[in-house]
Amino acid sequence: MFIVLSPSHPDPMYKQVTDQIKNAIASGDLKPDERLPSVRELSEALKISAITIKRAYLDLENEGYIFTRAGMGSFVAGIDRNRLRAEKLAEYRTELSRILATGAKFGISGDDILQLVRQIQED
Amino acid sequence: MTLILEARNLTKRYHDFALKDISLEIPCGCIVAFFGPIGAGKTTLMRLLAHQIPASSGAVQVFGLSYDNREKEIKNRIGYVPQEPSFYADRSVGFNARFAAPFFARWDGGALYRMLDEFKISRETAVKHLSRGQRTLLSIALAFSHEADLLMLDEPTAGLDIILRRAILERLRQFVAGGERTVVVASHITDGLEEIAEYVNFLDEGKLVFQSEKDELLARWKRIHFREGALSPDLVRQLTDMRMQPFGSSGLTRDFSALREQLAPGIASGDVVVENARLDEVLIAMLKGE
Repeated sequence: MFIVLSPSHPDPMYKQVTDQIKNAIASGDLKPDERLPSVRELSEALKISAITIKRAYLDLENEGYIFTRAGMGSFVAGIDRNRLRAEKLAEYRTELSRILATGAKFGISGDDILQLVRQIQED
Repeated sequence: MTLILEARNLTKRYHDFALKDISLEIPCGCIVAFFGPIGAGKTTLMRLLAHQIPASSGAVQVFGLSYDNREKEIKNRIGYVPQEPSFYADRSVGFNARFAAPFFARWDGGALYRMLDEFKISRETAVKHLSRGQRTLLSIALAFSHEADLLMLDEPTAGLDIILRRAILERLRQFVAGGERTVVVASHITDGLEEIAEYVNFLDEGKLVFQSEKDELLARWKRIHFREGALSPDLVRQLTDMRMQPFGSSGLTRDFSALREQLAPGIASGDVVVENARLDEVLIAMLKGE
């Protein structure tokens, strides 16, 4: 797992943690039933408070990404990869709308962007 | 580039400390900051540049003139704010201002009192009843009140709250905005000057260890975060100030452009994240690297 926290990022720290753990699960970097680092371990490694990590884990648990066993720690839930993919797709949609809107300002059309995507794939 | 201040091999020896061989060229229209740990020689350097103490050897030229034969003329055009400004503590702010006025040819009492009003410092108050921050403000206000072309300030924002600090930084920025005047300041990196300085100098143990344009420095120094195994061991060895931890390590590079190509695939795959280094990180890395 690879987590980078940035104080200048607009998202609060706990959100940066949950988003990056979700990404690790979605990309298969974290596997179902894999044990997550303990709250203490992660807070020491990332040099942020345990409360922030606890909050992130709680959110992940409420959203069904992880589950917690008393005394044993938190684990990656056996989550449907299609659901994760659908969520990622929604993120890409938002991102692409932004790119399209910016492109329009410079006279770059959706077709131009499609062409660029094909070129990149061929490289 | 017109120079406003120039120092050549400036040296000051005390029995237990020496400021050694400082050479500087400071242009017009900018803010130049000196940073460094406590005891690095920041105050000694400021005193030498403002000619408050004589140098053991070396030379300073201000406005192209030498203190040797044009001291009064130079000092007339300098606003100097020492770390511990000295006043007649038992006398009022107004008395101290009237005392300072005759030393300067271009005295502007109106500007002084407008500034003191803004800082909510009454001219009737005895200086001994001012807080440390207020004394600094009085000293800054005096420095701004004789149409100086060069301000030299020794930790001007120490002891100020964030609102006053912002106000002082804004005034310093306005002071140099016309491009003809310059601010030279000694400070700590966390005091806000790092935001407005265009040139940064690092002092350590009496030596000038580094001088650079700030933007250039920040373009070169980056913190590289990387997933374990994402960078070759050879590349990792080139990084300093390493922070190793299981969920992504990071280190500083002092030459990002040289690594940019090697890092590109990692950046594209999200296994490498590049962040601007902070000035304090760079300073600490340089001091450790000595």
